[in-house]
Amino acid sequence: MPCPKTSHLLQEYFSDDLAPLAEEELEKHLAQCADCNIELEALLTSQISLQQWQDLQAPHWDRGLELFKREHRSQSHQIGFWNRWQWLPTAASFAMLAIMVFGVSIASSESGFSISFGGDDEIMESVQELFDQLQQTQRREMTDLVARVASRQDSNNLQLLQAVVDQTQQATAENMDRVYAYFEQQRLIDLQDMRVGYQQLVDSDYETIRSLEQLAQFVSYESEVR
Amino acid sequence: MSLIDEDEALIAAALKGSAYAWEKLVKRYESKIYNYGMRLTGNTADAMDLMQEVFLGVYRNLHRFRGDAKFSSWIFRIAHNKAIDMNRRKRLMTASTRVIDGEESDVLDSISSASKYEPDACIGEQQENGQVLKMLSQLPMEQRLIVELKVYQSQTFEEIADIQDISVNTAKTRFYTALKKLKVVSEENHALS
Repeated sequence: MPCPKTSHLLQEYFSDDLAPLAEEELEKHLAQCADCNIELEALLTSQISLQQWQDLQAPHWDRGLELFKREHRSQSHQIGFWNRWQWLPTAASFAMLAIMVFGVSIASSESGFSISFGGDDEIMESVQELFDQLQQTQRREMTDLVARVASRQDSNNLQLLQAVVDQTQQATAENMDRVYAYFEQQRLIDLQDMRVGYQQLVDSDYETIRSLEQLAQFVSYESEVR
Repeated sequence: MSLIDEDEALIAAALKGSAYAWEKLVKRYESKIYNYGMRLTGNTADAMDLMQEVFLGVYRNLHRFRGDAKFSSWIFRIAHNKAIDMNRRKRLMTASTRVIDGEESDVLDSISSASKYEPDACIGEQQENGQVLKMLSQLPMEQRLIVELKVYQSQTFEEIADIQDISVNTAKTRFYTALKKLKVVSEENHALS
């Protein structure tokens, strides 16, 4: 019967970090178990056979140099003078904005340059005055604009109303003509009907008289015969 | 300067655009990757394809190499992934061809049996390599990969487990199973001869 420990022990044998105690145990077992010994020999033979591989030289190829050069050439073209300094206009814009918003002033004196934020009071007052004037001018212009828009809107509305009234009047006159023509037509039709009715009545009366005459003739004929 | 330092210096120079450094880096590893491909695929054309794919992958991801691990481990990890991708592609291609040809009705059957490993005739000229390829051809891909990493790359089971995303015990078991299978094949060959 094969040794039940073979599988477990030999897996451990090929481990990377077998503890010294476990190694000792393994050696002991292998020394007295023929099954495990034979199995291990066979496995080691297989492993040694695999290790017989002779390294081959890789065939010649361009080693990706074409791709490497092409891509790096295009990258180096992209990193030109302008690309390297393209942040400059943005930075300048931000600096100008900061100067305007925070009222930064740079003054040079004997002791060197000095930067101050907020500026001095006179400058701030004149800026405030300018700002007020600008605000008033804008408000005036806005009022004028509103008035002009309102007057133009009024005249537009008037024109629109006039056009609506004209159209309505014209439409009413046309409608009256149509109603009159309709009534006239109906009157003529009624007249025609009345004429026909009268004729039928006359015809019917005439038939009655003829029947009465025939009856009278018959009665007189009968009495004559008697 | 150690080999690792040299690798890192070459990588840094290659990233700055030095074609010379890139070529030197490729030269240093191309044979290892080519032989890796030969043992896994069994033929020169596939080994060559794999090698080129690996170096393309290295080139595309070189800026991501942080130096936390050795460059050799990193490149073999790429090689491992590419080998698995290639194997999957080949299996799918063979499976679809067989389905089109009407040879197989079940795609899964064809996939499992499709991973053909046909050593080149020219390899046979080198007797030892021919013998090794014949042995490896008896193993399924997952065991072949373990044998490759353990026997030829001298990786620890912990490293193998990490690369293959399996447990250390699974890696050990697969290696043991592979050796056992090779033992059986070897015994059968002896019996036949």
